[in-house]
Amino acid sequence: MDFKRFRLLYKLISKNKKLSEKRHPMFERNRFMKIFTYGMIAFMACYFIFFGVVLGNAFLNESIEACDMLNQGILFLLIFDFWLRFGMQETPGQEVKPYKVMPIPTNSIIHIFLIKRGWNWYNAFFLFFFIPFGFLTVAQMPYFGWMSFIGYMIGVWLLFVLNAYWYLIWRTLINQHIIYILLPIIFYAAIIFAGMVATDWLFTASMQFMRGFIEWNPLCFLIVLLCIVMLYYVNLWMQKKFLYEEIAKVEKVKKVKSQEMSFLNRYGVVGEYLKLEIKSIARNNVVRKIFLSGLIITLIFCAITAFTPAYDGGFMRIFICVYCFAVYGIMTLTNVMGVEGNYIDGLMSRKESVLSLLKAKYYFYIAMLLIPTLSMIAPVATGKYTIYEMLGCLFFTPGCIFPCLFILAIFNNTTMNLTQKIQQRTTNSKAQFFVSMAAMFVPMIIMYVLVMLMGSMWGGIVMMGLGLIGVVLHHVWLKAIYKQFMIRRYENMSSFRATRNA
Amino acid sequence: MQLATLKKVFGENVALDIDAFTVNSGDVLGLVGNNGAGKTTLFRLILDLLKPNTGEVTIKTEDAEYITSKTEDWKEFTGAHIDSGFLIDYLTPDEYFSFIGKVNNIPKEEIDEQLKRYADFMSGEVCGQNKLIRNLSAGNQQKVGIIAALLNQPSLLILDEPFNFLDPSSQIAMKYLLEDYNKQTGATIMVSSHNLTHTLDICTRVALLEHGHIIKDYNKSDTDMIAEIEQYFEGNVHHEAIAEEA
Repeated sequence: MDFKRFRLLYKLISKNKKLSEKRHPMFERNRFMKIFTYGMIAFMACYFIFFGVVLGNAFLNESIEACDMLNQGILFLLIFDFWLRFGMQETPGQEVKPYKVMPIPTNSIIHIFLIKRGWNWYNAFFLFFFIPFGFLTVAQMPYFGWMSFIGYMIGVWLLFVLNAYWYLIWRTLINQHIIYILLPIIFYAAIIFAGMVATDWLFTASMQFMRGFIEWNPLCFLIVLLCIVMLYYVNLWMQKKFLYEEIAKVEKVKKVKSQEMSFLNRYGVVGEYLKLEIKSIARNNVVRKIFLSGLIITLIFCAITAFTPAYDGGFMRIFICVYCFAVYGIMTLTNVMGVEGNYIDGLMSRKESVLSLLKAKYYFYIAMLLIPTLSMIAPVATGKYTIYEMLGCLFFTPGCIFPCLFILAIFNNTTMNLTQKIQQRTTNSKAQFFVSMAAMFVPMIIMYVLVMLMGSMWGGIVMMGLGLIGVVLHHVWLKAIYKQFMIRRYENMSSFRATRNA
Repeated sequence: MQLATLKKVFGENVALDIDAFTVNSGDVLGLVGNNGAGKTTLFRLILDLLKPNTGEVTIKTEDAEYITSKTEDWKEFTGAHIDSGFLIDYLTPDEYFSFIGKVNNIPKEEIDEQLKRYADFMSGEVCGQNKLIRNLSAGNQQKVGIIAALLNQPSLLILDEPFNFLDPSSQIAMKYLLEDYNKQTGATIMVSSHNLTHTLDICTRVALLEHGHIIKDYNKSDTDMIAEIEQYFEGNVHHEAIAEEA
């Protein structure tokens, strides 16, 4: 294919990609979501600028050059960027699919998507941090100056481009089998371990290499460029090799015998919906990831609270206690009905099925509280919390926090794509945003005030009482939510249909 | 079933506008019409999956009368399949049938018995495949949806384009299945289809839709039904213009 045609194709595909992002149903239908996303990007940019300025000033008084100080740890930034990409970027394999049947060489399409990966605004996003940092520590230094600053910025950008292609290799392999995730973990762990144990060679080497960019050492640029070219071609080879497997991937599942989960049969229709909830977690990528994230977050916070003094302070102590119990509910119930949007027509063509579904979900989330309860044993045993505080949260969560989150079943109307590999934006509406914020912070304030006023024992007991009322009345408030859901059903069903497979 | 002043408008486009229409008990009604005629919209309105701008759908049984948007009781004797939005695609077909059986209070033995009856239709490609519904072919997904709609032995069965995606043998099996079901249970069946041959074969009544209006309502006894319907669709094709463009 000649260059002119290739350029034309590149422009067309770029335009299509922009349109697909711009016209994403969730984006198109939801002004709040649009503003929220742009707001978050702007917030992150400001955050990076802030850190650039703070670190730039903080390192100025050190014994070594401020830029060298940061450059020693550049690898950690690249590792951070590497893992961050898992939440956002997929392989070009799926993107190539719509163009596969067109009279365009597949090779050219893969080239275009690979070039786009390098020439992506995201690879320059860290410059929000490096520009103010470089301005303070390189441009303003009389022995460096502006040319050094430019060299430094180009070098940093090239490293993030290199990281993009490096990530893509692992992403493609992990798509083939999840076991490949161990390799980058081992790789990075080994480097850090070697760097830390066997003197500081790693930090010194990375500092000297980055100095090369500042001093316009052609060898440094050449090495990075060669690595980019090399990784580009490795990616090209891999994308071609795995293309058909990516686009024709068929999920194979083990046969689930009917006697499995038969203990739920005694709960009748609600038991059937409970089975659905469990199978939804086990078989849908997105739901499973949220479940695992919730579990890991709970365990990490409990461990930190139990064995370190990090969260010993008044409000943080309460925050962690409430958070550990509520986090999984907040992470999943803010999208309640999102999974069901995929089969909403089937659900709505059966009598009161949504009510049974809501009941099943409620019981499921109550059962899930076993995880934070068990995890909290360690902080309680080490004296970080009293048993009353723990029991207070245990009852307050299903009795007061869950009802607030379940209200979202009335308003949520965006279908969750169950098979996608990257997690969908979890905040889709104003209601979701405010309810999840309220579900997290209001209970903390309540608990904090109660514990301050009444002490941990009576504070915990009052919370238990409040929670018990909500639990006992769950049939009433679930029925009320169901009634409101039915009032809004047409609007919701139409939106669920419109966002299905989006 | 009675449809009264039923109207649905999307933006400025009138998707459906029916003054009055009655479907009698035991009818096998075929809805035919080109794309955008309003077939699926009508089914969704009947099933209370869309809100009509005006009008309502009333279903009368021997003991009661139900306005579909006001109560959910009619759902107990209704079975329907429109598209994949009816399927819980992260279940295997076996699990899905079992789920449908249990939420409808049908004993497992009866479900197994029914599935045996549909074995020919499934041609060994649906049950026991260890595959999630989302990993089945479009044709097999369609079969899962149709069988699921039949499992509670509904006295009102609504199927939107049931012949779609099915191979020729399955289409014929589907035709016999619907005919037999109607004969055995006396159920009212509503089917929309672009496959005129099959529709005209199985239906006792055919309604022709155009731009949201029922422009003709035929009984199977009408001798000129087939000729008129074929003429209608033939008339919509401007053969000479197409040939000229080609």
